[in-house]
Amino acid sequence: MAKDMTLLWGSGSPPCWRVMIALEEKNLQGYNHKLLSFDKKEHKSQEVLDINPRGQLPSFKHGDNIVNDSYAACFYLESQFKSQGNALIPDSPAEQALMYQRMFEGLVFYEKLNAVIYYKWFVPEEERHDSALTRNKEALATELKLWEGYLKKLGSGSYLAGKSFSLADVTVFPTVAYLFRFGLSAERYPVLGEYYALLKDRPSIKASWPPHWLENTKGQDTLKEI
Amino acid sequence: MRGQGVSHLSRLELQILGDNTKMGWGLLAPIRSQTVSRSLLYNRRLPHSSFTPYFFQHFQPPSGLTLPSETMAKDMTLLWGSGSPPCWRVMIALEEKNLKGYNHKLLSFDKKEHKSEEVMKMNPRGQLPAFKHGDKVLNESYAACLYLENQFKSQGNKLIPDCPAELALMYQRMLEGLTLHQKMIDDITYNWKVPEGEKHDSAVKRIRESLTAEIKLWEGYLQKTSGGFLAGKTFSLADVCVYPTIFTIFRFRLCEERYPKLAAYYNRLKDRPSIKASWPPTWLENPRGEDIMKDI
Repeated sequence: MAKDMTLLWGSGSPPCWRVMIALEEKNLQGYNHKLLSFDKKEHKSQEVLDINPRGQLPSFKHGDNIVNDSYAACFYLESQFKSQGNALIPDSPAEQALMYQRMFEGLVFYEKLNAVIYYKWFVPEEERHDSALTRNKEALATELKLWEGYLKKLGSGSYLAGKSFSLADVTVFPTVAYLFRFGLSAERYPVLGEYYALLKDRPSIKASWPPHWLENTKGQDTLKEI
Repeated sequence: MRGQGVSHLSRLELQILGDNTKMGWGLLAPIRSQTVSRSLLYNRRLPHSSFTPYFFQHFQPPSGLTLPSETMAKDMTLLWGSGSPPCWRVMIALEEKNLKGYNHKLLSFDKKEHKSEEVMKMNPRGQLPAFKHGDKVLNESYAACLYLENQFKSQGNKLIPDCPAELALMYQRMLEGLTLHQKMIDDITYNWKVPEGEKHDSAVKRIRESLTAEIKLWEGYLQKTSGGFLAGKTFSLADVCVYPTIFTIFRFRLCEERYPKLAAYYNRLKDRPSIKASWPPTWLENPRGEDIMKDI
């Protein structure tokens, strides 16, 4: 099964990381994969474009089934491999509803993070404004408070959808890990800090931890003041 | 809608329908969805003076008796705004799953009712749709659609294909639909979202080029995919989630000749019962939108 799968990925990219966590959780180790460099623009190479006309990573294939969007790949894997590895979609309607809700809020969360830490990557120099970046930081702070509240309501030791690890954690944890890598203060966001600590040693997450974060354990402090 | 017989209806539902239609069992076969009659029942406006079969006009369930799907729907509440694609997605899904009779309230974006306390209580983000089933809150439209399909798998139309290839394509197109939607939003809202001092012609140009490339991509997808729907031969969550956006782009006068496959898709699905039943009411009054996208 895993041998029919190919993943083209970039180190530290949360969308890539999501798919890798899902593959680990479903016991699909042994999939073919190739690490590419965003800096060298390898995500625009022919190899990627052959699978993904958008020239983006992750690019993922299982046999003839191409599923490049990270959320789509996660849903696909859980649906096709339901009976192996860990169950990633809870049976209880309440947990399931919360899982879906948090998953899709997670996309908003990720965008607000990118709007701050990748402001210069996305916005050409002549279009940048301090006022815009300030606004983006405020939006991120508001978003963070929301998630801090979500986790607080569920209680210590909870996952995003409740008592079991689910696709909500698969898709949102990489964003949380990124926040702390870029200097988010665990004192200001203690509940998120606790969630991060709870998950960072989970086998699927350890196994897929961005390699360049291991080489260079010190991150940046862009988010220190948020 | 293709005829699919009556096997999907429970014995109770068949009995109720049988007792109450003058024409009898045989004519139930072609009728897959009770959308038209339900719309009349709940006083929801029908979008067109479309052909309404005679016996539907006389259909009335016996008072005091509710169908199982109605009981479920009574625990649901949707706060929505007319013409909002995310709201429309949820309404299409509800119709497809035969979950008519849900509580709903139409709010006005113009009057900023999406920031009212009523909405904020259900959705701290102050956004529509705001959707609840019992005490389960699902304000993200995709979350609501996936939840509804999973919880009501055995009723209404099946929205997630079994075949792995179609399933994969469905999820892929569904999620790409968010990109299409975002690019459309970036284009149409630039003028009023970006503060005056931060506007740049280069940004407007970049955003427009990005949307154009995206639309061309989807034209290509429909060229390549046989079967008439985004994931292949069956209507799926990909269509539920992406059709409202495609519709909106044509409402802004995207040129149908330039994008024939998208136009054919848009025109064909207009008549699907779930889509007709949930047509944005303000668009019925004013069917032609601004021609923002005619040059794409």
